[in-house]
Amino acid sequence: MGFFQELLHKSRMKSPWLIHFDCGSCNGCDIEVLACLTPVYDVERFGVLNIGNPKHADILVVSGTVNPRNAKVLKNIYDQMPEPKAVIAIGACGTSGGVFREAYNVLGGVDKVIPVDVYVPGCPSKPEAIIDGVVLALEKLKVRQPEKNTEPLVADLKKAREFYENREERQVTG
Amino acid sequence: MDFKTFSFVILAVILAPIAGGLLAGIDRRLTAWFQGRFGPPILQPFYDVIKLLGKDRQVVNYWQIFCVHIYLISAVLCVALFAMQADLLMIFFVMTIGAVFMVVGAMAVPSPYSQLGAQRELIQMLTYEPLLIIVFVGIYLVTGSFKIDDILTYERPIFLMLPLLYLVLTFALTIKLRKSPFDISTSHHAHQEVVRGVLTEYSGPYLAILEIAHWYEIVLILAICGLFWSTSWIGLVVLLALTYMAEIIIDNVTPRMTWKWMLTYVWAVGISLSFFNMALLYAKSL
Amino acid sequence: MLAPQMLGISIILPFIAAALCLINVPTLRSALVIGTGVVVSLASLMLVQSETFSLTPGSMLGINPDGLIAVLDFALLFVILGIAYRLKNKLIAVLTLLQIVPLAFLELFMNPGESMGPALYVDQFSMIMCMVISIVGSLICLYGLPYMREHEHHLKLEKSRQGRFFFFMVLFLGAMNGLVFSNNLLWLYFFWEVTTLCSFMLIKHDGTEIAVKNATRALWMNMLGGVAFVFAMIIFRSQGLPLSLQEIITAESASKLALLPVGLLCFAGFTKAAQMPFQSWLCGAMVAPTPISALLHSSTMVKAGVYLVIRLAPAFAGTLFSNYVALFGAFTFLAAAVLALSQSNGKKILAYSTISNLGMIVACAGINTPAAISAAVLLIVFHAISKALMFLCVGSIEQKIGSRDIEDMRGLVDIMPRTTMMAAIGMVTLFLPPFGALLSKWMAVEASAHLPLVVIMLALGSALTMVFWGRWLGMIMTSVVPDKALQTERMPLFFSVPLWTLAVSAVVISFAAPGLYTSMVLPVLERFYSADLYTAARGVISNNIGMFAIYPVFVVMALGVIYAVRASSAKRFFRRGDYVTPYVCGLQDPADSRRLGFKGPLGVWSEFKTTNYYMENIIGESRITGWINLVAIGILIILLAGVF
Repeated sequence: MGFFQELLHKSRMKSPWLIHFDCGSCNGCDIEVLACLTPVYDVERFGVLNIGNPKHADILVVSGTVNPRNAKVLKNIYDQMPEPKAVIAIGACGTSGGVFREAYNVLGGVDKVIPVDVYVPGCPSKPEAIIDGVVLALEKLKVRQPEKNTEPLVADLKKAREFYENREERQVTG
Repeated sequence: MDFKTFSFVILAVILAPIAGGLLAGIDRRLTAWFQGRFGPPILQPFYDVIKLLGKDRQVVNYWQIFCVHIYLISAVLCVALFAMQADLLMIFFVMTIGAVFMVVGAMAVPSPYSQLGAQRELIQMLTYEPLLIIVFVGIYLVTGSFKIDDILTYERPIFLMLPLLYLVLTFALTIKLRKSPFDISTSHHAHQEVVRGVLTEYSGPYLAILEIAHWYEIVLILAICGLFWSTSWIGLVVLLALTYMAEIIIDNVTPRMTWKWMLTYVWAVGISLSFFNMALLYAKSL
Repeated sequence: MLAPQMLGISIILPFIAAALCLINVPTLRSALVIGTGVVVSLASLMLVQSETFSLTPGSMLGINPDGLIAVLDFALLFVILGIAYRLKNKLIAVLTLLQIVPLAFLELFMNPGESMGPALYVDQFSMIMCMVISIVGSLICLYGLPYMREHEHHLKLEKSRQGRFFFFMVLFLGAMNGLVFSNNLLWLYFFWEVTTLCSFMLIKHDGTEIAVKNATRALWMNMLGGVAFVFAMIIFRSQGLPLSLQEIITAESASKLALLPVGLLCFAGFTKAAQMPFQSWLCGAMVAPTPISALLHSSTMVKAGVYLVIRLAPAFAGTLFSNYVALFGAFTFLAAAVLALSQSNGKKILAYSTISNLGMIVACAGINTPAAISAAVLLIVFHAISKALMFLCVGSIEQKIGSRDIEDMRGLVDIMPRTTMMAAIGMVTLFLPPFGALLSKWMAVEASAHLPLVVIMLALGSALTMVFWGRWLGMIMTSVVPDKALQTERMPLFFSVPLWTLAVSAVVISFAAPGLYTSMVLPVLERFYSADLYTAARGVISNNIGMFAIYPVFVVMALGVIYAVRASSAKRFFRRGDYVTPYVCGLQDPADSRRLGFKGPLGVWSEFKTTNYYMENIIGESRITGWINLVAIGILIILLAGVF
């Protein structure tokens, strides 16, 4: 049994399939993500495939800021991915909202809606950093964690809305 | 069934997916080499399948699961029947059970991508099936039998008598391998076509079973290709290697075409080549 | 022995019962239909036990049967003349006169009784046909009882027309039994015309304008066949050949001209079997209620046409005419399959599929090798069972959902689960191995492998059938797992008994195909052929060029199905709750994920819609039927000219 467990964990680490979702990005990070697939960086040698279907994917790579409309979409896609799964937030916008975090329709970074495993900073993130982030997320893929994020979307949105409502209190500059 | 045949069948059923997986891995490695990059390790398809087997089960309806299992069973049965040296045409018809049930499983889900992929898969089946039957008829005309044990006793390589029909067979092989320009219902290597087309709504262990069944089918079709040079092992290996290499090159240089083009082009070229070959056979026999 | 009595029962009892059905007492009628069905089915099963025999019935009640048949023949023709007068249709009147006058000439001046063989001849082929007619026909009549009740309730008729309906249905059973047992061509002609009349009256049963129009078309096309029949008989007599089927096909002297009447008889068979260019009557007949479509126009009457062609096959074996018949049949097979692909009307798909299969049977008769004839006979049996099942299912579906369009049958498995399963079994037994219809197709392809044009048409047609059956099967299975329990479907007893019986027998008889072949088909073939016959040993049917392992494939697939059903059983999933909705790029309604659609631009809810590829502007019925008819007429002309 131990041998099969080991084999399963090894296979999970050796075959991470990505789905890339662009929330509200300027596409800078997206281009860098796709650049990873080109022969220069060749992320396929790690077994990474850009599968466009959440039902087949293990890692959700998200770039861009989250707003109320694409929050629902993001959550829906996250829910359609079977366990074990991991989420990587790419770029400054995905991590915290970047320079847009105080805009009127922006809720913030990706972690306002779904639990994030790896944050890859940068504007845009370099391909090497993205590949680093994917490798870090591989550890998370080893075991199923079904208890994360069982709250329905409505409660998430409410929390995010409350955070937004208290914007003035949080404002740093005058 | 005597012990020798029985053991051969068991061996074939166990080794076929391993061979299919290794072939898929070599395929990806070679494709990467053509594209100037490294590519995944050769055992990558096995890692993929094992990972998929370990994922959570998620289905839209349980009719999908039934169809996936029927596809696998019919693919295994086909390989077993080939190892038992049964009738080629019967093996072909048993293969269609699996193909049809994969389509039915995809159509059983009310998803636009899945249904569109299923329609295109049906058109693909429509394209290659008559050609396969014609290839088998050609083999019969040369060797005098549809049964594999009789075909293997023919003293010359069949390829020398039926070169054009071998080309027709490679059309069917390209469609079955889901390679460009015929990868219109779903594509391997994560080249998306209407998301994942026929495979969109399958996930986790069921996708793994589909992949394994696909490997069985690939081994079967390559075995049929191998019948064309069954007289010497070296000839067989060289023929299969050259064919597969040609498939990879065609995959890399052609774009994905439309189903209308595929149907008209493949039928027109395929049937014409068949007629020419049969005319050649007739002329040779005069 | 009981066999002659069984023979008499299976022909005469339906005639009597039909007359009694006209009495307008519903319970009596139901009892008559059920009783007749049971009795003729048992009679046919008992007949199977006997050896080949022939019989010429002596005078019954002081009436000479030959004379009786002759009188009834003329009466029938005058009835049809009367119908032509009522419909004011000159064509039918002309065709009927073209039969009455030569028939009178034949009866009076050409001494039809000379060196006549036995009037009735029973061999295994007739016995199988009788079994198919009696058992499948009775089940369909049984189905007709609740169906017609609901049908008339739906149409809100004040005066029930069920008496007429069952009169013709039961009469038809007797006529078909008489047809397959007749050796005397005049008797065969009589029963042939009775089936034509039944078909006409049943197609126009509903009395609407389109029903009458289509019934008229069926009538004149079948009358055309009748004219050919009469002229064939005249030419036979003019050459001194007796009007006896067995004498004709075993005749040593096959002079050139003897092929012409055989060709004309085959032509009559083609019109009855709705081959191209006569397919329009069968498609038009689909306006009739479903039991009629099931009985006449798929399982039995059209089989009479191909039965005659197969019977005559030894007479034209090895001639150029035979090759042309094969070409004609293969062309019909391909053309009907193409037309079926373009249809979305469920009954029309079934009609074209029937014509397609009949074309394959004709092609097999034309190929004229023992393998091909085995294919033809087996296909008659298996196609009749499965196609009847399909028609009955479509009838129930139509009564429930009010539409016969397959696009409306999406998601049927949630509404009518049991009928959907029956329909799925019906479809699967029609085009997938290891079932009998596919076994016959395999035999046909292997048998035709030496005729390149025929085999290419069979290959193309076979691939086309996969497409239209596969997509129909997929569509009825579409479902999202419901949150509440499936509503159980309530089927009347006389719906479920025929459906269950047909479904189970389609599977079981396919499994028994080797035994069926050895006991019923092989003896007939051994009379005419000595080499290249299929042999069935340990469940594997094989000959010198091919083999089909029925028992092994059946057993493995059955085990596979059991395993697959267990693996997909619902209980495991209700525990985990791992249902998801289809993928629509995340744009589902988060509140109700069962709602099929997505949030489009500007937040507007859109439903998605997928349809099948019907390719109507390329292969639509209106576009290519003209060309198909032209080619078919061309082949027919060459065929008939080729006898010279």
